This record gives sequence, C-alpha cells and structure tokens, in this order.
Amino acid sequence: MTFEPGEIHSVVGENGAGKSTLLKIMSGIYQPDSGELVLGQDHLSGLSPRSAQHRGIYLVPQEPALMQSLSVTENLFVGILRRGRLRFNVDWVSMKRQASAYLDRVGLDIDPEMRAEELSIAQQQLVECARALVHRCVVIYFDEPTSPLTGKEAGTLFEVMGSLRSQGYTLGFISHRLDEVLAISDRVTVLRDGAKVLNAPRGDFDRAVLVKAMIGRELATRERVRPHFDATGRKEMLVVEDLTSQPSFEGVGFNVREGEILGLAGLVGSGRTEVAETIFGLRATDRGLVRVDGRVLGHRSPRACIDAGLVYLPEDRGRHGIFAEVEVERNVTAGVIPRLDRVGPLIRPAAERLMATQATDRTAVRMASLDTLMKALSGGNQQRAMLSRWLLAEPRVAIFDEPTRGVDVGAKDDIYRLVAQLAEDGLACVFISSELNELTITCDRVLAMYEGHVVGELSGAEITDANLGALVVGAHVK
Amino acid sequence: MTTLSTPSAPATPAPGAGPLVPGAALGSVAIGLLRRREVQLLVAIVGLFALCTALHPQFGVTSNIAFILADSVTIMIVATGQTIVVLGRGIDLSVSPVLGIAVIAIGFPAQDNNLNIWLALLLALIIGAGLGMGNGFLVSVVGIPPIIATLATLTIYGGWQFIICGGESVVSVPATYSNFGNANLLPVVPWLLVIGVGAVAAAYLFLTRTVTGRSIYAVGSNADAAFRAGIPVRRILFTTYVICGFLAGLAGFIYLCQIGSGTSTSGSDSNTNLMSIAAALIGGTTLLGGRGGPVGSALGAVFLSEALQAMISFRINELWDPAGVGVLILIAVVADRKGAPVRQLLRQPFRQPARAVQ
Repeated sequence: MTFEPGEIHSVVGENGAGKSTLLKIMSGIYQPDSGELVLGQDHLSGLSPRSAQHRGIYLVPQEPALMQSLSVTENLFVGILRRGRLRFNVDWVSMKRQASAYLDRVGLDIDPEMRAEELSIAQQQLVECARALVHRCVVIYFDEPTSPLTGKEAGTLFEVMGSLRSQGYTLGFISHRLDEVLAISDRVTVLRDGAKVLNAPRGDFDRAVLVKAMIGRELATRERVRPHFDATGRKEMLVVEDLTSQPSFEGVGFNVREGEILGLAGLVGSGRTEVAETIFGLRATDRGLVRVDGRVLGHRSPRACIDAGLVYLPEDRGRHGIFAEVEVERNVTAGVIPRLDRVGPLIRPAAERLMATQATDRTAVRMASLDTLMKALSGGNQQRAMLSRWLLAEPRVAIFDEPTRGVDVGAKDDIYRLVAQLAEDGLACVFISSELNELTITCDRVLAMYEGHVVGELSGAEITDANLGALVVGAHVK
Repeated sequence: MTTLSTPSAPATPAPGAGPLVPGAALGSVAIGLLRRREVQLLVAIVGLFALCTALHPQFGVTSNIAFILADSVTIMIVATGQTIVVLGRGIDLSVSPVLGIAVIAIGFPAQDNNLNIWLALLLALIIGAGLGMGNGFLVSVVGIPPIIATLATLTIYGGWQFIICGGESVVSVPATYSNFGNANLLPVVPWLLVIGVGAVAAAYLFLTRTVTGRSIYAVGSNADAAFRAGIPVRRILFTTYVICGFLAGLAGFIYLCQIGSGTSTSGSDSNTNLMSIAAALIGGTTLLGGRGGPVGSALGAVFLSEALQAMISFRINELWDPAGVGVLILIAVVADRKGAPVRQLLRQPFRQPARAVQ
C-alpha cells in the first residue's frame, strides 16, 4: 500500500486485524518478517524508532508519551536541544521562541514553559504533533489518537490534521470510530486478520462497504457450545439499573437470569470493562444500582460482592489476577482465605489442599503440582486456575472479562465449555469479549456497547458475527 | 446437542512428576533442599563455624557458641518483624528508635523504681505496637510510600528518644533483669534464644496458617490482585507495621536485660535498621514482597552474629563491621535465584506501563 503526500490515509479493521502492528513496523518499533518499506526513492531497512525519526517518520501514539515532569519546550526538543554560544550550555531563549511558533502551527495556545503533566490529554496529543514538526518529520502516523479524546477535542485534532494535509504532509490514521474515518479520510485501507482486503480512494467507500469489508469473514461457521436458553421461570440474579460512571459510560442497565450467559460486546474503550469494574466496586459509581439475587448492593467493594455471590474475572490476568511468585494452591484459595477450615486461628493445611485439588480438577488445570509457582503455568492454565479461585467462592453471578485473552486455541474451547457448564449448573454469567465469534457461540443474549452506551441487544438467532460487528462500530442493524 | 462435560486434560504426566529411580529421587530431593535459602544458610553457618574453629580452636568453645546465639536474639526478633513488613512489600526504617524508646522507657523506671520485670515486658510491647501503629497509619491510611513514611518516623521517634532521656542514661538495671538476660537453659542455649525462637515460630505459624498472615503474602505479591480477590489491603498493611513495632518493643526488652544499660542512641548505635534488613535479605526475603519468611531471617541473624564474631577472632577492627554486613547483603541478593530479582529491581524504574495491545 502507498501513503501519498497531502493525503489522510486511514487504516481500519477489527481488533487484532493488524492495524497497530502495521504502523509500528512502518515507524521502526517492530521489525517486518518480510517485505519492504520505501520512502521516496530510498529503501528503508533495519529501521529503528530513532532512525525513522531521522528519516522524517513520526508515530503519534494512542496515549501521549511525553515526559510528564519536563516543560513543553523540553519535550519538543528532547534529543535535539539547541546549544548556546558557549557550546556546552542550552540556548533556552531561541528554543522557547521556536517552541511557541511550532505550537501555533498545531493551534495550541499554551505557555511552552508549562510542564507536560499540567496539560489535558488532548493538548498533549497536539504537543506530540508539534514534536513531529520540530523533528522535521513529513510522514506522521496517528495510532487511534481520538480514543482518549472527547468529540470536540477530536474535532480540534482533525483541524490540525487538515491543515497539515494542505501543507503536503503525509498522514496515516487509525480509528475504531467509523464516523471519523468517513469524515476525514482521502483513502481507506481495510485490514482483516492481518491481510489487506480493501483499498479505496474517497468516493469509493461508504459505511456499508467498510463494515462489510471489516467483518466479511466466513460467518458463524462454528457450532454453539450450548443449546438455546429458555428464560421462563428463571430468577433474575443480577440486575443493573441506570449505572453511570463518568466519563467511561452512562445509563447502562441490564439483567441476567439464573443459568443465562449474557454477552457484553464492544471495542476496546467502549466501556465494557469499566461497567464490570464499577459493578464490582472498583470504580466510583455516579448513579444507578446493582442488585444480586434481589438484594441491592449499596456500598460495593470486591469483598462485599464476593460475599454476596458476585465474582469478577479480570481482563488483565497478570496485573489484576494472579500472584505470580506464589504457589498455585494459594492462588486458588486467595479469594476465600477467611472461609478456610480452621482449628482455632490456624488454617488446616489438609483441608485447604483438598479444596484446591477439587477446584483445580474441576477446571482441569495442568501443572506439576499444587506447589508449582503460578508464573510457571501457561496462560491457559493460569486462566483455569483463576476460574477455580472463583468457583471456590461459590458464586451465583460471574463476570468473565476477556476470559480467553492470551490463551491458546485449544484452551479457548475448554473455557467456552466450562462457562457453558457453569451456566448449565445455574450460574448467571456475563461474558465480555472483543472477539465477536466467541460471543456468537457462547451467549444466549448479547448487549453491544459503543462509546459508553448500550446501543443494542441481540438474542437467540439474531446473534451473528455480522450483526454484532455492525453494532460495535456504531452502525445500526438492518 | 453438544455434550456438556468438564473439559478433561489428557493424562500426560507433568515434567518431574513421574516415577523416578530411587537414587535419582534422593538426588533431586537434595538439590531441591539446597535450593532453599534456609538450608543454604544452615550449611553456611556450620561451614563458617567449622572453618573458624579449625583456625582458632577458641572459636568453638561452648561459651562462644552461647555468646553468638545470645548476641543474635535482638536482631532475630527485629528481623522477624521487618520480614513481615517486607513480605507486604513495605520497609520499616524506624525499628532502631522504636527499640531504643522501649529500652529507655522501661529502663528508667526499672533503674529508679525497681519496675516489675513482667510489667516492663508488657510496657515495652505496648510502646512498640503503639509506635508501629504510627507507621501503619502513615502508610495505609495517609498513603505515604513506606520508605518515606518510616524515614520520617525514624527521625521523629529518634528525637523522642533524646527528649525522654533528657541527657540521662540508664546505667544499671535490677538483678532480676540481668539474671534473666544471662541465664542459660542448656550450656549453649541462653533463655533469650528460647524467646527469640518462640517469636520466630509464632511468626511462622502466623504467616502460613492464619487468615491475616496469608493475606500478607498476597498483598505483597500483587496488591491489585489481592484487593480484587476481596482482601482488605489497607488493613493488612496496617497490621504488618503494628506487628513489626510490637516485635521491636520485645527486642527492646531483651536488649535491656542483656546489656543492662540504655542511652539516647540505643538501637541506632548498633545499627538495628541495617542489621534487621540485612538478616531478612540474607534469609531470602526479597524487597519486592510476597516471597521469603521468618525462618530464613532468623538464620540470617545468627549467620550475621557469627560472621561478626569471626571477624573479631581474625582480629579485624570492628570499624569494618558495617562493611562486612554490606558485603554479605550483596552476596545474598546476587545469589538469590541467579539474581533475577536484582534484574527486576534494576529494570523497575524503566518499566513501561502495561497497555492493551490493539
């Protein structure tokens, strides 16, 4: 594919389609396995972030990566600080003057003396742009720059991008928001599963064309892991009403019945995980309420939720789930330490061992022994151990957030079947995933979230990859 | 309809779990034991003892063994408390003045009013726990990083110690104290060692077998995950500092019985902070939290005491003691699992925040 000067070229695709990877290769962060980058007449090889910047290629990351405690001027000129007359000193006066000029070009009216941490995310993003200009870069890529921004802030960024375009810069752009892509792109490339499936100039694409290209893989070839669910006579185990936690999501409401698997679909940043964390008491609730088995959970904390029968399997296993340096056994019993069998104040090791053995057998954790350190297990087995931890808590409602992330294909199927089995035994399940097909084959009902709102609900035969795919990018189901 | 059953794992034996020939099993057990820091330390303690006795036969006499063991008790007890804090990924730099305040707070009434020895013990424990609560409050309620909070209380408590002394010192204690401090259960086993070992054993049971103790490992290993598993992280952290102070108070009582005197710099002049952290590190507890235990720290304290005594018998000036301790810390930390934690510590400042891959 080619990026032309004076063009905004967007790259779109589902999660995992390879957009970010592509941009990272083009800016020297990753190395390509094969293929070639050509800049003007030059063949680029062995590109590093530093040499890419030398050549005039700059990647504006999704989250600005400024040095927070340094001034804007220093951030702009870091690596190429201007020397003063004495040769060993720094010429702050001329640098500050230049900094102001560059900031003007990106429409930022701030004091270049300010420290980066005093700026809003949107302003930091524009400083990143200005930094590209300071380093005389002519090819600027933006990796999902708008995902941390509000609509208005994004508008400002687009104005700056528009003016750079008219000055002949070459711009690359990644976004999950189709509206933005449609509004500003001169050319769009669609990636799917790591391959280019569409490359069209302005006028040759519209929303429908893009959605079809993004999703159009073999549809729902896989069988559902469980028969369709009959809700009649089933009790509502989890009820969420008008739950709001600004700025992540607003007015989210749903219920899950005993034995039901409710899917929560949405792109990264759509607010799915934030909803789960708010229910579990990890984020502040602005308004709304959560009911478990008919009882309102007022002041929610993980302990209170676990005791009420609600557990949450976190998305980021490494950071929020496992105790890497601790034995599997203790990882598994960590959620129920106060409930362990005791003689006086002392925990009975034999009883604990038995509990851990039964729990890990149930999820089929493969390990040398219960004394193996958690970090020695594969991703799939760590996830199974995490599932056993929550089974020991005897939950009635479970939220599984990306339960198959970082898990190999075979283990994924096991996890689907395990979740289905738990639902069959009466557990009310919420299944959060970015992989649409995963939701299609496991869920009885799916809610789709987009930018912090529930935008649609599908149930039974309506749940198809195509319908879900359209909902999660903010399009409507036909 | 799809059949629903718990996914079954193929019955492949995990590596190392299969049946082994008896000889190899014995070998692998030995290697497994040698990987444990406690066993390594025991070997080091016995080895150093054998070496010193071979070169200086005086080193091996009963009274010297008793001296080494008795000398290690104060640090053993402080190090036990330090270990509990470090397991929760904290550090307590204020143990020196906590011990010191306990020494003089019971030392003056003992000297001047013949304070009952059991009352003195109780008082020392209460003072220690109270000062520990101060640290716990700063770390878990106010949320100040442990190293800064306890650095501040190090000087605050140290100042109090000066003020309480008011220029005076404790120069003698009643015979009940010194008799207890010098009594031996067996020729090589001083009574104080029994208390020290008792404290270590209690800490071991506490850490491995109680709800709070087990939670400390979880919090130290991954505080985020511990909170999400329903563990009251702040309460647990608070508890670790209270216990550490409590044990420093106990050590203060023992110090007074053993030394029989106390000054405005007791505790600080014998480098209690450095020695307790050193014993914990040499004993295999890592500053990264969640790994280690009090048994290693106790052996670390004995090893330190022995090594310092060895330096004396080799006629090395005691001005070199702190340098010797420093070298032992370096050796212990580098030897710790092939230095992996060192690499982690070095890498930590540059670690990128984890970010979801798109």
